[in-house]
Amino acid sequence: MQRIGLIGTGAIAAIHLDGWRRMPGVELVGYYDVRPEAAERAAQRYGGQVFATLDDLFAAVDVVDVCTPGTAHKENVLAAAAAGKAIICEKPLARHLADAVEMVEACERAGAPLFPAQVVRFFPMYKQVKAQIDAGAIGAPGVYRSARSGSFPRPGRDFSAPHYADFNLSGGVVLDVAVHDIDFARWCCGEVERVFARGLTFSGKEFQDHALILLRFASGAIGHIEVSWSHPRTTFRTRVEVAGNGGLIEWDSLDRPPLLYELYDDAHGFRRIGGSPTADEDEPYYAELAHFIDVLEGRAEPIVTARDGLEAVRVALAAIESMRTGKVIAMKDFGG
Amino acid sequence: MTHQLVRIGFLGIAHLHSASYVQSLLTMRGVEVVGMWDHNDAIAAEWSSQYGVPRFASADALLNAELDAVVVCSENAHHRPLVEQAAGRVKAILCEKPIATTVADAQAMIDRCAATNTKLQIAFPVRFAPTVIELKRQLDAGLLGEVFTVNCTNHGSMPGGWFTVPELAGGGAVLDHTVHVIDVLRWFFNAEVTEVYAEIGDSLLHPGLGIDDAGLLSFTLSNGVYGTLDTSWSRPPSYTIWGDVKLEILGERGVIYADTLHQYITVASNAAGKTRWIGYGSNIDRGLMTDFVEMIRTGGEPSITGEDGLRAMQVALAAYESARRGEPVRL
Repeated sequence: MQRIGLIGTGAIAAIHLDGWRRMPGVELVGYYDVRPEAAERAAQRYGGQVFATLDDLFAAVDVVDVCTPGTAHKENVLAAAAAGKAIICEKPLARHLADAVEMVEACERAGAPLFPAQVVRFFPMYKQVKAQIDAGAIGAPGVYRSARSGSFPRPGRDFSAPHYADFNLSGGVVLDVAVHDIDFARWCCGEVERVFARGLTFSGKEFQDHALILLRFASGAIGHIEVSWSHPRTTFRTRVEVAGNGGLIEWDSLDRPPLLYELYDDAHGFRRIGGSPTADEDEPYYAELAHFIDVLEGRAEPIVTARDGLEAVRVALAAIESMRTGKVIAMKDFGG
Repeated sequence: MTHQLVRIGFLGIAHLHSASYVQSLLTMRGVEVVGMWDHNDAIAAEWSSQYGVPRFASADALLNAELDAVVVCSENAHHRPLVEQAAGRVKAILCEKPIATTVADAQAMIDRCAATNTKLQIAFPVRFAPTVIELKRQLDAGLLGEVFTVNCTNHGSMPGGWFTVPELAGGGAVLDHTVHVIDVLRWFFNAEVTEVYAEIGDSLLHPGLGIDDAGLLSFTLSNGVYGTLDTSWSRPPSYTIWGDVKLEILGERGVIYADTLHQYITVASNAAGKTRWIGYGSNIDRGLMTDFVEMIRTGGEPSITGEDGLRAMQVALAAYESARRGEPVRL
C-alpha cells in the first residue's frame, strides 16, 4: 500500500486526484498547498487531510506528487528528495535548465525515484504509434511531425493560473506544451542533435503564443513540431505522423471521432459534439500514475525516466533560445 | 485489495476470441487459468503452448480440476454438449456467441444451467466498448428524445475454417454478426425484435464458399423503432481493418453517428503490403472478462444471460427463414 501526498492542489492536481482516488493499492493521505484554502477544498472533495507543513506531509506519505506551477517544482522536489520520498513531478520539470539538473541529480544522490509526468507517452493513440515503430511496421523513422494546438490559457479562466501569461514564469507555449511533443519525438526518434524554431513568443502580442520547431535527430531523422496558444478558444487539436523508410503512421484528432452527435433544439441551436471515451483504466493520467506505482512496487520497468524529463526541458529551452536569437542551437553545447 | 483466487478453464478454443479472452485473464490479478481442452489435438497443443496453459486429456479431466468457471469457445454446434457437461460442476459458464445453432439447443443449455444452479453468461463483448456504454448512457438520458430508427452495420472479414462449415457454425455471416448488434439494440432499448425481413447472399463475395457471406436485415422492435443491419463478411484482406460495428441512430432531436470501434491510428507498412488501421481503443474483451470474473467473485448474476443469447440468435434464425420464404417473419 503506497501512501500518496500531493503538493499543490490546482487544476492538474484535480486530474491526478480523479486517478488516485479510484486506484487500488494506494491510499490518498493528504495535501500541502501554500494556499491552505485550496488544500482544504481538495480535502473536502477527495478526502484525506490538510498538512500545515511539508515536513508533516513527508512524515505521513511514501509518494509525493508535485502538482504546483513549474516555478515551485524545484524547492518541493529537493525537499521531498531530502526526505527520501518517491516523487512524481508534473512537466516541465523546471523553468530553467540548471534547476532541472539540480533536481534530477539531487534525487539520484538521495536514491529518491523521480517520475516526470510526461503524460503523452500514456495516451493510447501515442502508445500505439510507439508500439508500431518498435514492431518495425515503418522501418526506421525518418520524418517526425506533430502538433498540439489550443487557445491561450488566459488568467482567470479554467486551467489558467496567472503564471502562464508571464513568460518568465512559464516559458510560454514551448516550455509548457512543446515539452510533451519533444519528449514523444525523442521516444520515437532518439536524441535531438539540433533545433531551429520560429514563433510568437517574443512578438509582444498579448495572449498569443505559437511556435514551429524543426529538429534534427542524431539518427539523421528530422522532425517538425507545432505548438499553439493562438488557436480559437475551446478548440484543442493534436496530431502525430511518423514516416519511416518502410512505411508511415498517421493520427489526427480532427479525424472523425467514434461518437458524433448532431443535435438541434431551440434552446441551444445546432450542436455537433464528438466523443471518444476509453475504459477508466486507460485514461492517460490514471495509466501514468498507476505505471509509476507499478515501477515503485517492481511490477514494471519505467516507461519514462527523470533524465527523459530533463532532456525534454533542455530541448524546449533550446527551441526558445533559437526563437530569441534566430540561430540554430546545437544540443551538444547547449547549457540552458 | 485482496482477491479470492478465481480458477478458470477453457472448454473448447476453436473460436478465435479464445486467444483474446485468455490473454485478458492471464494479466488479471487474482485469476488462475487452470487448464484447457479441445477435441482437436493439433490446435489444442498449439494454443496450450502459446499461452502457457496446461492441456488436459479430456473435458471431464478439466472439469475435475476444481474450477470456479469455464469459458466455452468451441465451434458453435458444440456449445450445447460442452455447456451441458460443465453445468453443475462449475459455478459459472461463459459461452461464446452465438449461444447455439438451434432454438432447441439454446433452450436446453439454459434449462440445464438453471436446473443445476449454474450461472450462464453469453459473450457479447460489444457491450463493453466504452463508446457503446456512453451511447447507452446518452440514450437513457433522452439525448435524442424519441428514437425513430437505427441504421447498423457489423461488417467483417471472412473468417474461414469451421466458420464456413454449416454443420459446425450453424450459419455464416448472418448468424455470426446479427447477434452482436441485435444484442446491443435489445440492451439499449429494453425491447425485442418483432419482425424481420432479410436479403441474404450465399457465396456472394467469396465464390464457392458454400455458406452465406452477405446479409441485409430489416427489422422492427417492440418499442416502435425500425432499422436495418448489414452483417456481411465484406471487408477484403486488402482493406484497412477486419470490420466495424456502426450504429446510426435517428431521433426527434438529432442523429448519432456511432462508429463504435473507430479509435485507430493509420499505419502504412511496406512489410505488410498495405495500409491498416490499428486500434488504440480500450480492450473490450478485457471488459467482458473483468465483468465475468467480478460476477463469480461477488456471487452476482450474469450481466448477459442465456436468454439474451437465445433472443439474439432467434433474430438471426428468423432472417434465414425470411430469406427462404421471401417475406417478413414475425417473432
